[in-house]
Amino acid sequence: MPELPSRIDAQPDTVGRDLGRLVLTVVELLRQLMERQALRRVDAGDLPDEKIEALGVGLMRLEEAMVELREHFGLEPGDLNIDLGPLGNLLGPEAGRGR
Amino acid sequence: MTLAHPDDELSLVDLLDRLLAGGVVLTGEVTISLAEVDLVHVSLRALISSVSTLAVGPDPGEGDGA
Amino acid sequence: MSLVWVYAVRDGDADDPPAVSGVDGERPRVVAAGTLGAVVGTVADEGFDEAGLAAAMEDLARLEALARAHHAVVVEAGSAGAVAPVRLATVFRDDEAVVAMLRERADEFKAALDRVRGRREWGVKVYADTRAGGDDSPAPAPGDRPGTAYLLRRKADRDRGAAGRERARAVAESVADAAGTHAVDVRRFALQDARLSGRNEEMVLNATFLVDETQEAEFRAAVTGAGDGATVELTGPWPPFSFATADPP
Repeated sequence: MPELPSRIDAQPDTVGRDLGRLVLTVVELLRQLMERQALRRVDAGDLPDEKIEALGVGLMRLEEAMVELREHFGLEPGDLNIDLGPLGNLLGPEAGRGR
Repeated sequence: MTLAHPDDELSLVDLLDRLLAGGVVLTGEVTISLAEVDLVHVSLRALISSVSTLAVGPDPGEGDGA
Repeated sequence: MSLVWVYAVRDGDADDPPAVSGVDGERPRVVAAGTLGAVVGTVADEGFDEAGLAAAMEDLARLEALARAHHAVVVEAGSAGAVAPVRLATVFRDDEAVVAMLRERADEFKAALDRVRGRREWGVKVYADTRAGGDDSPAPAPGDRPGTAYLLRRKADRDRGAAGRERARAVAESVADAAGTHAVDVRRFALQDARLSGRNEEMVLNATFLVDETQEAEFRAAVTGAGDGATVELTGPWPPFSFATADPP
């Protein structure tokens, strides 16, 4: 069994990264909610093509911005998640994987 | 199919799943019992998962192909 | 000063305490009361009082050492007969307090021992690729509509994901049903993150079963045969940590 470090401490130089992670996780949650809402509208079929296109471009740009921000903080997709104990993960079990 | 024998290296997570959530809880006359410790507060699994990643590295050896 | 760490309770007429080192490097011993015996160890005040144990819970290296030692003693005690394991980090003032506890909870412990006698605990984990299957290609979009193409890709991802998860759940339940046919009781644990197992597949079942020793061969055959392509992992036998109490925790 690999040796485990004896303590998990928030070192001063990771505080910025930890806060960035927290903020980005919340932003990522909002982005995913917006995307799901957009897909529901697309499924419902009540949007004209131009609106769908505009929605898609906006979400695509949002995803690109998220990737940049995440890389700026040196975070992996899987880092953007918060374990709420018995409530599971904030972004669900598959957040950060497979994309 | 993997079968682990008792003296094989047991995964810490499997061990703690049983030792922290299982077993008879004794209170009352007991001086100290951590049965009531709120482990959610410590978010133990989150700690273990991040520590295991740190200890094992980003690409553990075992896996089913790419 | 010293304290008393409790490992497990067993029938009192077994005479040899487990011959392995305990959580403080001590030699375990048995404290008897009536027909029951508690497998205990004398531990130092420092590190095992309330403050010491609370600190241990946040120090993963120490917690691991305690867990492995506690487990080793319980396994050894269990090899001699039925045991009711006690929760990690249960500490008494002295032997008299242990005796008082055994007398007070005698019926409960006897019921627990009867529940696990001749039975062992087995862990069953199932991993499946929740992204597998389904139509891989999203519906085509006009080349000059990148936003629409993006949404159609995301929709295809989502639909594939839902179908994959549903198939994975079905596989998990079929393994649990097959295992349950040859088991006396079952408990579910939280699913473990894929990062812990190092696998590419996702864990879809993390359960533990109480199996009669006379049914072990059938249980293992049923678990091996189930799963329909998913990866099934069996661990054990464990002392009956998860079944020492009547109700699920």
